[in-house]
Amino acid sequence: MNSRLLTVVLSVAVLLTASVFLTSFTTNIKLPDNHQGYEPVQPIAYSHRLHAGELGLECLHCHYGAERSRTAGIPATNVCMNCHKFVTAPWVNVKAESDRAEKEKRAPRQIVSAELRKVYDAFGLNSELKPDPAKSPTPIAWTKVNNLPSFVYFNHSAHVSAGVECQTCHGAVETMERVRQVPDLSMGWCVNCHRDANKNGVNGKSVKASLDCVTCHH
Amino acid sequence: MNHNHHEEQSRHEHDEAPAGLDRRSFLKLAGFSFAGIAIAGCNQAKVEKAIPFLIQPEEITPGLAYWYATTCSGCNAHCGMLVKSRDGRPIKVEGNPAHPLSQGGLCAIGQASLLGLYDSQRLKHPLINGKEASWDDVDAQMNERLARVKAAGGAVRFLTGTVASPTTRAMIARFLGGFKDAKHIEYDAISCSAILDAHEATHERRVLPRYRFERAEVVVSFDADFLGTWISPIEFTKGYRSRRTLEGAQPSFSHHTHIESRVSLTGSNADERIRVSHAEMHEMLRHLTTLIAAKAGKLLNTDAKLSQELATTIDSLATRLWDARGKSLVVCGVNTVQCQILVNTLNALLGNYGQTVDVEQPSHQYAGNDAELIALLDEIKSGKVTALFIADANPVYDLPNGSSLRDALKKIPLVVSFADRVDETAESATFVCPQPHPFEAWRDFEPAAGVVSVAQPTIQPLMNTRHLIESLSVWSGTRQSALDLIRGEWEKSVFERQSGAADFSRFWTKTLEDGFAEVSAKNATSEFNFSSVVSSLSTAASKASGELTVTLVPSLTMFDGRHAHNAWLHELADPVTKTVWDNCAWLSRRTAETLGVGDGDVVQLKVDGATVELPTHIQPGQHDSVVVVSLGYGRKGTDRFTSIGPEWIQKRKTVEEGELVGKNAAVLVRFTDGARSFAGNAVAITKTDSTRALAKTQEYDSLHEPNLLGDPNKERRPIIQETTFAAYATDHASGSFHKEQLDTMWSDDHKYTGHHWGMVIDLNACTGCSACVVSCQAENNIPVVGKDEVRRNREMAWLRIDRYYDEADGQFSVAHQPMMCQHCGNAPCETVCPVLATVHNDEGLNQQVYNRCVGTRYCANNCPYKVRRFNWFEYRHGDEMHKMVLNPDVTVRDRGVMEKCSFCVQRIQLAKIDAKKDGRKLKDGDAMPACAQSCPANAIVFGDMNDPESEIVRRMKDARTYRVLEELGVRPSVSYMTLIRNREEKKESHHA
Repeated sequence: MNSRLLTVVLSVAVLLTASVFLTSFTTNIKLPDNHQGYEPVQPIAYSHRLHAGELGLECLHCHYGAERSRTAGIPATNVCMNCHKFVTAPWVNVKAESDRAEKEKRAPRQIVSAELRKVYDAFGLNSELKPDPAKSPTPIAWTKVNNLPSFVYFNHSAHVSAGVECQTCHGAVETMERVRQVPDLSMGWCVNCHRDANKNGVNGKSVKASLDCVTCHH
Repeated sequence: MNHNHHEEQSRHEHDEAPAGLDRRSFLKLAGFSFAGIAIAGCNQAKVEKAIPFLIQPEEITPGLAYWYATTCSGCNAHCGMLVKSRDGRPIKVEGNPAHPLSQGGLCAIGQASLLGLYDSQRLKHPLINGKEASWDDVDAQMNERLARVKAAGGAVRFLTGTVASPTTRAMIARFLGGFKDAKHIEYDAISCSAILDAHEATHERRVLPRYRFERAEVVVSFDADFLGTWISPIEFTKGYRSRRTLEGAQPSFSHHTHIESRVSLTGSNADERIRVSHAEMHEMLRHLTTLIAAKAGKLLNTDAKLSQELATTIDSLATRLWDARGKSLVVCGVNTVQCQILVNTLNALLGNYGQTVDVEQPSHQYAGNDAELIALLDEIKSGKVTALFIADANPVYDLPNGSSLRDALKKIPLVVSFADRVDETAESATFVCPQPHPFEAWRDFEPAAGVVSVAQPTIQPLMNTRHLIESLSVWSGTRQSALDLIRGEWEKSVFERQSGAADFSRFWTKTLEDGFAEVSAKNATSEFNFSSVVSSLSTAASKASGELTVTLVPSLTMFDGRHAHNAWLHELADPVTKTVWDNCAWLSRRTAETLGVGDGDVVQLKVDGATVELPTHIQPGQHDSVVVVSLGYGRKGTDRFTSIGPEWIQKRKTVEEGELVGKNAAVLVRFTDGARSFAGNAVAITKTDSTRALAKTQEYDSLHEPNLLGDPNKERRPIIQETTFAAYATDHASGSFHKEQLDTMWSDDHKYTGHHWGMVIDLNACTGCSACVVSCQAENNIPVVGKDEVRRNREMAWLRIDRYYDEADGQFSVAHQPMMCQHCGNAPCETVCPVLATVHNDEGLNQQVYNRCVGTRYCANNCPYKVRRFNWFEYRHGDEMHKMVLNPDVTVRDRGVMEKCSFCVQRIQLAKIDAKKDGRKLKDGDAMPACAQSCPANAIVFGDMNDPESEIVRRMKDARTYRVLEELGVRPSVSYMTLIRNREEKKESHHA
């Protein structure tokens, strides 16, 4: 009887495992450590769609490290403040307040959006956007979206200077409300792109993209 | 049947098991289910945070490395140094190529001083009577105490190591100026006091001359280890090597005679090494002086007693020196005034002052005064001192009568220590005011007259420490920052000596950028006074030869003990003994046999009642009458290394319970004639019952095949190829020997069309100083494994220096050979890897891919050079803070993978990317591995073998170039150049 029970339980387990495999293979082949589609919630609901899409800011405007350094870098909070010293809320809200103030014959109030308030908090600013000695400035801890394993060395500047578009690896970030990992960032994906670049060039320019292991692994 | 039977049995055994499921079945089920769950659950991304600056400094881009010019404080030499800072952390140091003294070289100690920054055991706050205190408490109590001392008119003494900083010197003087009876005393743990005293006698100025090896054609050294530890080894290596290059049509080559009883690093590089007892060395020096004086037409009878053989040697030496008048140099590392007066006489009679010996622009690297130290010790003993300040010195550890000094210190009402940890001396201090690490603070130096340099902070201070000069400024009444104090002093006393910059701020900025400035020095002339020599020379015979004496030497790694908390240096093998994690008693084979001891047997050394017990190391080439012991070991707190290394069942501790790393040999130092004597002290040596296995990184000493493998009289293996200068002059290919290549199965199908990286190592330049080894360790995140793992031949260094002895023709020779992955064209390791984790690339690199490696270790077994290292364990850092030293450009290897030299491929990649970004071709020298950069002798050249303009191609064409084991047909990318010794007769070569 014991043996029969074992057979039943075992076959259930095998079936379960197989179904997990099958569903993952048919719907979306994902090997361990493949985080394609990863879209974490960020501490501030920063919209790339608005900034890079609608307003048309260049990627390198904020991520200027990509041109010079290994890492593209997440902009320091003072980069945000270059604009958001003045822009404290969406234009419609500011407009609505100023219209209302005009109607009520009073000076318009400062409108600060909830998300931007977090930026000002990071800087330790009070409601008048003046430094508040009671608040201690703390940098914003963003959640990394595109992670590579610790034995992979990717250099942004090499790719940017070769003319690779940011979107090639990061997808159409300018359409994303919240940033998502678009490609699977697997080695095969990297190597195929390098092979393709060697054959077809990048943006019409012929390039030599290395296929050596030590290009990325050292 | 069987199945049922088994089940019955198992049911019996597991009567209490519920639900009828036995253990085996449960595990099967669990295994399947877990596998499914694990695969389904694998895709949970690990949440990683990215935290940018709040306000980013304009000049910083995250991910880029920045270099700051500063000055090394690893020893007294104060070489120029560049610190690589990445995202706010210093991660690598290198020599400053523009620096006039060190010219881009940096020694092993300098390289390793980086690790000291991330030492979590440094004091985190000041101490009052051993208890944690705030700086405000310290200042309040100190001011009150000082006021009392002032009122009582008590004796204040400030004891320091050599102060090469103009600002610190001025600050100490200003601070002491407020007291009636105050004095600043300098002493060095490794003393050069006798050289200064001798110059006071012969030149009426107490100076340490600057030795100019770059001008010396004949160098005679009496036990001065000037390439290893003596005064300014990097400066001297640069100078010495510049006289021994084989460039040009008519190459000139200096001649170096080394007279010693031990085997020093410098002696191992000498053209002629004369092995004598300590007493004989003294007699030789006397006899040489007589001979040179006679040649100069002076009468000086030193009454030397020498054997006929040595007298003949000295005769020819005298002729050689006399022929090179004004272009020769005699140096002596013995700390006795008598010896140093003789050396001064020799240099003066040979006309070397003003040429190779510079007293007009002297060195400030050592200013210690043993006579003043002795006077101070007497004062302390008699209870005369009311307040004692101790900075950059550890007298309880490094003076022979340390324990009695410790008791005496306890009786002094006020003892202030500026040590960075509670060391042997700070233990007895009322106040411990820790100073920041040199990388965290502003400092200034004038290591040689006319060369001023600054050290700038490269990281925010990690501990709550305060600079000595800041503390002194607070206690003198006005609080000033170290930067303001240094700038103030420079504006006052240094700026006036410079020319070029219009105003001080420009001068300061330029100095900061360069790391140093050359300014005029006060030219004080002084004439050699011959009559003073005659009057001061004692004709008393030195100690009888035949007696066993002890020679105490600074260790190349620990130096005087100040680096005893540095694990990198502990695991760096001594260049001669190849011992790690210990000091030992070096004995000649014959002496060891007489005593009946072998390698590792513990012997007791006794000098005037002071004893030390040390394991024996048998040292070929050493004189029978000496026992040599390294200083700098047995420091308090080194028991921290007890459990360093991987944890596993058969682990043996690096340091036994209640012990320290090595033994403190400073107790054997004696005070004789107003100086500390480190050599020539009579020693009684007895065998004990215990043994202590030494850990050595190399256990083969000879180039001859071991007896077990073949005929010992068979020809020497041509791993080291050497010749004499005379033979080289007639035939440039002399000594280099190319063995016939064995049949190869490899087809010649590797075509290198782009770069083809290679390396040439000039054995003639390499001194064996091991700076490259530490540089490699720092650059490539190489772990420290501990003594036991080294004993099991599991050290991890990618680059090692092989040392070979040769005693052919009665002349004892040593050769040093840096050995790392040879990046073979036909690499034997590549063919045996079952998972293609080690493969060739089209630039000739033998790539090791950690993420592919499964750890079969076939590659290491198939490597003829034995340069592959296997991660037997996960080597965790003993000190959590050491993680900050890791190079973020190099993978930290995990357990179970193979690793080896990569030619610093991360640097090659970066250089290539930088060139690509600038749209230019890679220049020769753009890509430079860490070892080549740090080499003080410029022995290592790295470059593109396909670039016809490169230095490496030029060297590859040289007739001296050969490859190690080239007969195997593995086509290594690393070549070596023959070792050349300036010897009289041609040594019989291995293939003659």
